Amino acid sequence: MDEPHTDIEPVSDPGWYRIRIQGRLDQRWSTWFDGMSLSQGEDGTTVMRGRVGDQAALHGLIERVRDLGLTLLEVTHEAPDTPAEPRT
Amino acid sequence: MSHPLIETKLFLPSPRPGLVPRPRLRERLDRGLAAKLMLVSAPAGFGKSTLLVDWLASAALRPGAGVLKAAWLALDPADNDPSRFWRYVVAALRNAVPDIGEDALALLQDSQPPPVELALTTLLNELAAAEADTVLVLDDYHVIDSPAVHEGMAFLLAHLPARLHLVLATRSDPPLPLSRLRARGDLVEVRAVDLRFTGEEASSYLNGVMGLGLEPDDVHALEGRTEGWIAALQLAALSMTGREDVSGFIAGFTGDDRYVVDYLVEEVLQRLPGNVQDFLLRTSVLDRMSGSLCNAVTGQEGGRAVLEALERDNLFVIPMDDRRVWYRYHHLFADVLRGRLLDEQPGLVPQLHQLAAGWHEEEGDVEEAIGHYLIGTDFARAGELMERVIPALRRDRREATLRGWLESLPTEALRVRPVLSNALAGARMSTGVFDGVEELLDATESSIASVGGRPSSLLFVDEEEYGRLPADIAVHRAGLALVRGDVEQTVTHARRALDLVGDDDPLTRGAALALTGLAAFSTGDLDTAHASYTACIVEFETIDHVSDVLGCSVTVGDIEVVQGRPRAAARTYRSALDLADRHATPVLRGRADMHVGLAARHLEADDLAAARQQLSRSRDLGEPAGLPQDAYRWRVVMAGVREAEGDVDAAVDLLDEAERLYVADFQPLVRPVPAVRARTWARQGHVDLALDWADRARVTLEDPLSFLREFEHVTLARVLLAQQGRRPGSVDVAAVVTFLDRLLRAATHGHRGGSVIEIEVSRALAFQQLGDQGKALAALDAALALAEPEGHARAFVDEGTPMAVLLTAAERRAPSAYVARLRSALAGTGRTAPGPATTGPHPGALVDPLSSRERDVLRLLDTELNGPEIARELVVSLNTVRTHTKNLYMKLGVTSRRAAVLRGKELDLL
Repeated sequence: MDEPHTDIEPVSDPGWYRIRIQGRLDQRWSTWFDGMSLSQGEDGTTVMRGRVGDQAALHGLIERVRDLGLTLLEVTHEAPDTPAEPRT
Repeated sequence: MSHPLIETKLFLPSPRPGLVPRPRLRERLDRGLAAKLMLVSAPAGFGKSTLLVDWLASAALRPGAGVLKAAWLALDPADNDPSRFWRYVVAALRNAVPDIGEDALALLQDSQPPPVELALTTLLNELAAAEADTVLVLDDYHVIDSPAVHEGMAFLLAHLPARLHLVLATRSDPPLPLSRLRARGDLVEVRAVDLRFTGEEASSYLNGVMGLGLEPDDVHALEGRTEGWIAALQLAALSMTGREDVSGFIAGFTGDDRYVVDYLVEEVLQRLPGNVQDFLLRTSVLDRMSGSLCNAVTGQEGGRAVLEALERDNLFVIPMDDRRVWYRYHHLFADVLRGRLLDEQPGLVPQLHQLAAGWHEEEGDVEEAIGHYLIGTDFARAGELMERVIPALRRDRREATLRGWLESLPTEALRVRPVLSNALAGARMSTGVFDGVEELLDATESSIASVGGRPSSLLFVDEEEYGRLPADIAVHRAGLALVRGDVEQTVTHARRALDLVGDDDPLTRGAALALTGLAAFSTGDLDTAHASYTACIVEFETIDHVSDVLGCSVTVGDIEVVQGRPRAAARTYRSALDLADRHATPVLRGRADMHVGLAARHLEADDLAAARQQLSRSRDLGEPAGLPQDAYRWRVVMAGVREAEGDVDAAVDLLDEAERLYVADFQPLVRPVPAVRARTWARQGHVDLALDWADRARVTLEDPLSFLREFEHVTLARVLLAQQGRRPGSVDVAAVVTFLDRLLRAATHGHRGGSVIEIEVSRALAFQQLGDQGKALAALDAALALAEPEGHARAFVDEGTPMAVLLTAAERRAPSAYVARLRSALAGTGRTAPGPATTGPHPGALVDPLSSRERDVLRLLDTELNGPEIARELVVSLNTVRTHTKNLYMKLGVTSRRAAVLRGKELDLL
């Protein structure tokens, strides 16, 4: 596992992604998903947010979504200025 | 095969008792037997494997249907190494159809990268002859992401025999041409929507199999919440078994929107004793587990009993063999457990892997140990073990695995182990990756240099291996230079390697010699090339690298032919064949090439029957016995035979095929096929076609000369002389002579006797056209003097009437038996002579070809030996000889020994 991404990203950082899945997945899965932050929406979906190292890492995350049998709803590239709280 | 196969990967699970019958899915799979591919594609926990196991068991029992044999392979990420992947596929198929795949396995170990398509071709040919239908199931195909493996699968699919059925179970659709297969009706799919339990199936499972006695509403609610996801329904059933308040559970579960498996695993875990919970979490890091391995990882005793209890209680534990030694968790269950472990005790995960690694290491399974050490981030230990297994992996052509491991080591771990960083450079190059190789070699070299003779800051397992590094690095550098086309650097590094290498390392020495030879050959320095390759063969012989000896012999033969020493070339091929005969491996690549080389020599000596015989022998050995260039070389020689026999169309067709089949390698291409064909055109008077070649190939009389273009240049001169012969006055023959004079000086200077003969013959014909008989005969004399000791014939005979005139003049001046022979050969060249050979059947024409043993017997029938003597000669019983004789009589359609021999000769079998 990579270490969690703790750095505050520069504005131009291209590596922030948002992955939305069906169902409620609690924060305990954060480590499994390489330290992405998880937030549960009102609509019964979960949004994972975080920085991914590169495309291969992104595909790795999506593979892990698949391996848990979760339904993938969307993957979006976050605009760099989207507020995404830095985590420790 | 030095690495033992993990049997559990090949274990066909038995169907679990108490399954919900699913006739609609069974029927769909039955239909799949008529298609090429059955694809079972759905997420984890949808019952893919269960369905297939159940179907295979039911298909075996179904009355009326033929026998259906099952070959099962459970894939894991390590199978992305093509060599390993295909070896397991062959092993799985051998479980179903014993006695196949020997040749395929040998080929997979033959070279790097392994000749997968060739290995598959031999395998598929064997399977095509199999009598029963075989189903090959590749489970968990989604773990494969290697393009090389996918390519091999696409090849397999495209050449699938009718009675082999391929099933892929996967979580992701594989990158195979699915839409094309679908459109042609060659694909039968079972997908998530098909696998989900219907309401009826859910009810039959919960109330029938599990006996929970639920109300229809409850069943409906559970089915809705799980969306028919089988693993979730199983977990739910497990949670409800023995529970007082079942409806409370259902209400709680269906009223919650948490990730369904997470919720249910928690329910299940909560009801288990603490030590079992702990057992599950800790062992979840294992992909397969035995009682003893579990003990090592949990630090507790009694692992085996726990596993048995878990299996009894349906806790997602799946046996991986018949003896209940190895188990695994259901993948989905394991993933959820791992997720929890990672959340609750992240620091424990590496420790658990290290414990597992230690256990495997103690058990002698170094590869498994390395995998766990890598995940457990004990890179020091992982590196040390890698160093120990490098020789074995190289022997098995598993450089892809090696590369994967080495690339997952952090830079620092590589830096302190120069043997590993050098091995990574080699593994990259042999898997076709050249990026970063130079940097690796630089780093390795400088780390060795920086410590001088006292490598205290460096680590290595084997002092000798460490000592070999400088030479090995130089060989890698030479190889890298060769790939870049830098001949000078290739030679420099290869020479350096030869200076550095010790007497105890024939492999490195052989490689350096081969590289030196190759570089010299491509610049036309034939003497150096010959000496290097000959020395290289000696090195490879001492370590029994027979296939490499055969490969080098092809080149040595090529060199000797250019040198004008065909007899030496024939000796080279024969001694390589002798060596091959002493090594009884199932297939030996290169053996076929030796026969093609001999055929070319017979052709040159104008012994067409012998040439044909060698070509037949080469073909009889089969494609696997040929190196990659054998297919094209065979056709070039056969084209020569057909042309000599007078069948020009057949010759041109063969050359066209040869051009298509030519595969480039690092060897210099001495005789490009288009130029060979242009010579045929020129000889047959098709001057325009030949001139067209010269245009396309951009060959002109003004070209600077080089060894690599020599054949084309001589061809151009031939074409122009042919043009002049057809249309007198259309060519400046004096300019052609000047060009030939230049070529002659270059060839003489480069000791290329074979080229000199060709050039002198061309000069003789040119002077004849200019009406200068004296110079023509002088040139001819020079050619004859070189040609006679080596028995050349076609170099003269091919030239037809003008040559006949010259030879007559030469003989009148100085009678010689050799010239007389050439003249009579020329006189015979309206040749349709070898009757049956040109028009009649050739060996392939036998409906039922002779086996190699039957051919042996046939050869001995063509001697004075009697039956018992033949039996002694072949070291078999007289009865066996009689059986072979009877069979070969039948195949040849004869009833006597004499007729068999005659027929055998007609068919070129003798």
